[in-house]
Amino acid sequence: MRPVPAHVPPEMVGDFSLFTSPGMDRTANGDPQAAAAVALNGPRVFYSQMNTRDGRGTWVVTRADDQRRVLQDPETFSSHRSIFASALGESWPMIPLEIDPPRHALYRSLLNPLLSPKRVIAMEEAVRERAGVLIDKILANGTSCEVMDDFAFPFAVNIFLRFLGLSDDRLEEFVSWANDLLHGDDEQRPRAARTIVEFIRSLAEERRRKPVDDFMTFVVQAEIEGRPLDEQEVMGIGVLLFVAGLDTVAAAIGFDLRYLAEHPDDQELLRREPDRIVLAKEEMLRAFSTVQMIRVATRDVDFEGAPIKKGDYVSCASMIANRDPDEFEDPEKLDLGRIGNRHTAFATGPHRCIGSHLARREIEVALEEWLARVPTFRIKEGTAPITYGGHVFGIEGLVLHWS
Amino acid sequence: MKIKVLNAKCQGHARCAATAPDIFRLDDDGYILPGDIEVKPGDEEKASLGARSCPECALEIEE
Repeated sequence: MRPVPAHVPPEMVGDFSLFTSPGMDRTANGDPQAAAAVALNGPRVFYSQMNTRDGRGTWVVTRADDQRRVLQDPETFSSHRSIFASALGESWPMIPLEIDPPRHALYRSLLNPLLSPKRVIAMEEAVRERAGVLIDKILANGTSCEVMDDFAFPFAVNIFLRFLGLSDDRLEEFVSWANDLLHGDDEQRPRAARTIVEFIRSLAEERRRKPVDDFMTFVVQAEIEGRPLDEQEVMGIGVLLFVAGLDTVAAAIGFDLRYLAEHPDDQELLRREPDRIVLAKEEMLRAFSTVQMIRVATRDVDFEGAPIKKGDYVSCASMIANRDPDEFEDPEKLDLGRIGNRHTAFATGPHRCIGSHLARREIEVALEEWLARVPTFRIKEGTAPITYGGHVFGIEGLVLHWS
Repeated sequence: MKIKVLNAKCQGHARCAATAPDIFRLDDDGYILPGDIEVKPGDEEKASLGARSCPECALEIEE
């Protein structure tokens, strides 16, 4: 573990970490979001000595209101980190995520129309069709399945591939790249990163030569400030799309179906009244958030008593803020009809997840089709899903059974 | 009832319009259109719910 920097007062060092605290490692029948919420028992801001995947310390901002202030202030709290490129020993930003305003707006307004609420409505039919095909295949195969491998990943990856303009042939390959990149060890991560870079480079090359109507063609033809995007910008955009859209949607679907399997009353309610799914999904996004946002201080700043120094990392973990009792009444309780639910599963501030509209629709459709087609389900006896915290929270080995 | 729209804070979550599409109008990218919103009698509850669903706190309710 790296030493605590000299400017951090010893009394501000906390023992919480999204990587090493109890319930954060792989746990059978775990509840990593509830385990992370213990950070709310501590001070509003503290320093965690080991709180990134590469073993760095961060300030931890625990309260919803304080996180909002950090994420809405990109001048003080920058998102320029080159997190993907660093796995390759390089330094270039994922775009738009790791670009700060004002330049951020150039890329954001270029890409926003591709993932706008209107555009997502046009994608819905294909999304629903895909969910139906996958679920029908599962039903034809018997009365149980492993949700992540049989449904959540193939579903999310298929939609992503379709968005990119690619066929399903290489689906398993893509899942394994994403898995190695996000959850792999020190050898798997750089290898997956190199593979993804090579893949995007060759796809961009192909679309330059032979344009079609898809995302990568749009990117290689796009212009900002009267010039085409350069190689690095194309790469930054392509990589972000790859990293952000696969694992997170699948994890949300997994956590939601696990919850419904373990709470038959709520499962029955959504079955009986599927109109409730849209709102219920927001509550599950709140309770089962999977991402922590990290920002870098651009100057020395006192934040609620924390003497943050230029260059310090500041962590805003959505799963902590989303259980803040000052923001949510009875935060530990899942209330599928909760209203005024301004959770931050997709972050706040200018870097609000650009794919949030598509992700929301994917999750809704997945739950709607699952509940409409699969009879009452529960966790298969003798099995236990494995959950984990860390960089992106997740769940695996989720075996559901129905009769 | 009036809703004050803080456009600079809107980040396009589109939660307001998901709650009350007739009250909160979005542009093509999903960000709220400029201008404060005069809420019609009878629409107060929906408008209030929509405003309270904004993760950025970009919609302020004025009685």
